[in-house]
Amino acid sequence: MATVHLQADHARHTNGERELEVGGATVGAVIDELDARFPGLGVFLSDGASVAIDGELQPRGTTYAPVGPEAVLHFLIPITGG
Amino acid sequence: MSRTHVNCTVNGDEVDFLASDDTSLLDALRDELGLTSVKEGCGTGDCGACSITVDGKLNCSCLMFAPEAEGTSIGTVEGLANGDQLHPLQTTFLEGAALQCGICTPGVLVAAKVLLDENPSPTETEIRYALAGNLCRCTGYDKIIHAVQEAAVTINAGASK
Amino acid sequence: MTAVENPPKKYKYVGTRPVRHDGLEKVTGKARFAADLSLTGQLRGVMVRSPHAHARIKSIDTSAAEAMPGVKSVTTGADFPDIDPAAPIYDESINVIARDEVLYHGHVVAAVAATTLSEARAAAAAVKVEYDVLEPILTIEGALADGATISNKSTRTLFLGQDDETNLASVAPFGRGDVEAGFADADVIVERFFTTKAVHQGYIEPHACVVDVGQDGKASIWASSQGHFAVRSKTADILGWGTDKIKVTPAEIGGGFGGKTTIYLEPIAVKLSQKASRPVKMVMTREEVLRATGPAPAAEIAIKVGAKNDGELTTIQSTMKYSNGSAKGYAAMLGAMSTASYRFPNLDINTMGTVDNTSKSAAYRAPSAPQAAFAVESCIDEIAKTLGMDPIEIRLQNAVVEGDITAMGAPHPKIGFIETMQAIKDSEHYNSPVPEGAGRGFGTGFWFNIGEQSSATVNLNEDGTATVITGSPDIGGSRASMALMAAETLGLDPMRITPIIADTESVGFTDITEGSRATFATGMAVTNACLELIDQMKQRAAMMRGVEADQVEWVDGAAIVDGQDPLTIAEITGQAKQTGGPLTSTASLNAAGAGPSFAAHLADVAVDEETGVVTILRYTAAQDAGTAIHPSYVEGQMQGGSAQGIGWALNEEYIYSDDGVMENASFLDYRMPVASDLPMLETIIVEVPNPSHPYGVRGVGETGIVPPINTLANAIHSATGVRMTDLPMSPPNILKAITLQKASNEQK
Repeated sequence: MATVHLQADHARHTNGERELEVGGATVGAVIDELDARFPGLGVFLSDGASVAIDGELQPRGTTYAPVGPEAVLHFLIPITGG
Repeated sequence: MSRTHVNCTVNGDEVDFLASDDTSLLDALRDELGLTSVKEGCGTGDCGACSITVDGKLNCSCLMFAPEAEGTSIGTVEGLANGDQLHPLQTTFLEGAALQCGICTPGVLVAAKVLLDENPSPTETEIRYALAGNLCRCTGYDKIIHAVQEAAVTINAGASK
Repeated sequence: MTAVENPPKKYKYVGTRPVRHDGLEKVTGKARFAADLSLTGQLRGVMVRSPHAHARIKSIDTSAAEAMPGVKSVTTGADFPDIDPAAPIYDESINVIARDEVLYHGHVVAAVAATTLSEARAAAAAVKVEYDVLEPILTIEGALADGATISNKSTRTLFLGQDDETNLASVAPFGRGDVEAGFADADVIVERFFTTKAVHQGYIEPHACVVDVGQDGKASIWASSQGHFAVRSKTADILGWGTDKIKVTPAEIGGGFGGKTTIYLEPIAVKLSQKASRPVKMVMTREEVLRATGPAPAAEIAIKVGAKNDGELTTIQSTMKYSNGSAKGYAAMLGAMSTASYRFPNLDINTMGTVDNTSKSAAYRAPSAPQAAFAVESCIDEIAKTLGMDPIEIRLQNAVVEGDITAMGAPHPKIGFIETMQAIKDSEHYNSPVPEGAGRGFGTGFWFNIGEQSSATVNLNEDGTATVITGSPDIGGSRASMALMAAETLGLDPMRITPIIADTESVGFTDITEGSRATFATGMAVTNACLELIDQMKQRAAMMRGVEADQVEWVDGAAIVDGQDPLTIAEITGQAKQTGGPLTSTASLNAAGAGPSFAAHLADVAVDEETGVVTILRYTAAQDAGTAIHPSYVEGQMQGGSAQGIGWALNEEYIYSDDGVMENASFLDYRMPVASDLPMLETIIVEVPNPSHPYGVRGVGETGIVPPINTLANAIHSATGVRMTDLPMSPPNILKAITLQKASNEQK
């Protein structure tokens, strides 16, 4: 099971829990499981967040990135620029 | 609306064009003569992107009406190079990376040439004040000032031969 | 100049300063910007804009306008499809043209195309719009007040998942540790309230486009934009058209800085052109640019920082409120990033984004960071001075390094914050005495930078020269950097490489040039395409020499087979037809691993206490570029960002009337720095290579604008003892602060 860290704001949907154990072989699968557990959270994670796997920021939007069994995921606010 | 027939010289060539009395010289140069190096950045004489010379003097073409050009000699950046020889300012701007987006560059070059024609060895402060009418948002002016200084050196070295 | 961590010069072309390939056309006036282009038979398009900051549109009557001489088409919001408010394009689609509500003074309600500009303007003035004027919300405070008028009825608070109309577009807290305990334990606490005003990116080229919709319903667009693929997709989404019906060619762009990452003109020009079956050219006036495009958000930041006597920064608590203008944005959340420079074990940052009836804010170079860094770095400066610590020392002690966790939760990758500050510490400027009567200030900033999608095609010509084709509009000299990275990879002189930026039909999809991503991500795509070309050339060389491909090595731009003469690129391309055909390669990616770029600035200022005028005597900027591909253009980004930050700090601001009308909508009154306002801007390029990029690149475009405000505020404090907490630090504001300080000193 991967360890998922959510930002304080996402925790609104998870009754305040910011660190969760979640199954799923890809980022997309992890998001789907989180959305199943906390309905409505999914769209904020897939559209409105970037994700780092084991400290490495992933290309934005890559839901197929593999998630290892002991992986640590961070969902972050989307960083843009100007 | 009736249009005025204007005759003048641009970059050494005799030209003529038609313009309404309320057309700016900026628009006439761009739309009637195709001299698109002269840019509109503000239309109110505050940014210098439309800088030209009129009988040798620096002017904002957005602040002149096209018929005012009658009988005058106008200079734009298109006339800066001499055949296949770039003007020293053009060379130092290229070599010194004194431009980024390039939109202000034609106006800056026109203003810098007027400065160096009048004051061949300007100080840094004199260059800054001479170019104070040309807004640049990309470079912070640093490399522009250096390029003008370098061009002055080149021109003076050439002139003293 | 480079500083610590300078890798040995191992590159032949990367790090050199060739004349940029597109330079000649820019110094001879031949470069074509969007407003320089014209199509036969084109019409001129003019917008009809709301005279009210907030109103309901009761009716629009275009009949008089349509009957006027030269008018060929007219459009209103009724011509545009309704879009679901939850769709990402929704806010931009409303911003392009209002439907039933106008949200700011200057909001487009209709547009007219006519055969001449003056005819179009006359017709635009003849469009009759009836409004029900509503109360405008003009400030953050006003937006959040109890019972406040709803400024944009589509706004819902992001992430709250509730459905009430509100002016609060986003609430995003970030936290770790225990701030109460942290403050209880702190030896020094600084608590302040900072405010900043909206400022404009100030690009000298107004937005412009030329559009031609043919009778086949296909639109060709020439646009001034930071991202022509985004112009295509946004236009398609706003109009409900297929992507294949729109081709966008990027014109040269006269400055963007983030303000040209959104869309204003093209969907309207397309609609006008379609209805008239004629090309349409639309160019904004400067007044329109200032009134109705982008600015960077105004902000209100309450902040409290706690430290120990030994200089450890232990606790930070802040509420950061940013105005997004007329529609929601990410401004506030991004502000939290500026706390990510220091370890702060106890952190509680609340960010709030509001919506009001001022123009919709747009990105501006490191969006939201300058405002937040103003607050954070000013407080650290106060703490340092209270503790009698050197301002660089206290930051070195607390600076983040690789592995430290940011407020956003993920660890920093390899970064060069310490090295960059050390570069200032080692600089000639820092080690020279402060001029008599002047004050010295130090400040820092950074931007995370982004990766995103890029494509590149590299073609080798028959004579061994190369063409590098990308889709990243060049807003700062990136074309030259693409050529240098290709040159280095292939082993080919960069002056034998032609870098071009191709239209949406001629190169693979490429995201907007923003987030300091072009040299990083597009450079990666270029490099990958070149590496694949080398594989191809090794195969051809193997064929030419009668060996297996794995016996061929690529060294210094040539194929080497043991014991035989090397085959140069030109020799290989000269035989391309005989060995299998043209040599060309395309690479594309969704880049990861963008490296943050940190900066540290130092300023000496003199403050005239009778006029409030601040003169910058000396200014030095150090910034981590990872690897400077073309050092002149890296310096250019540092200097340009510094100048913009200086303008933001000392003079620029949007001034609004009570009706929400911008009162200083011209370059005369919206006063940006001119050449005589600034000294030379000294630069120090620090190189702590980014391990995720083949050449170690970190994007540099944005970071430079973050330190100047706080650096100057700290310098002004050193010079006068006055702590400025409100921007701009313009002469009247400084004078007021000095007067207040003197008065309160006298009372003591």
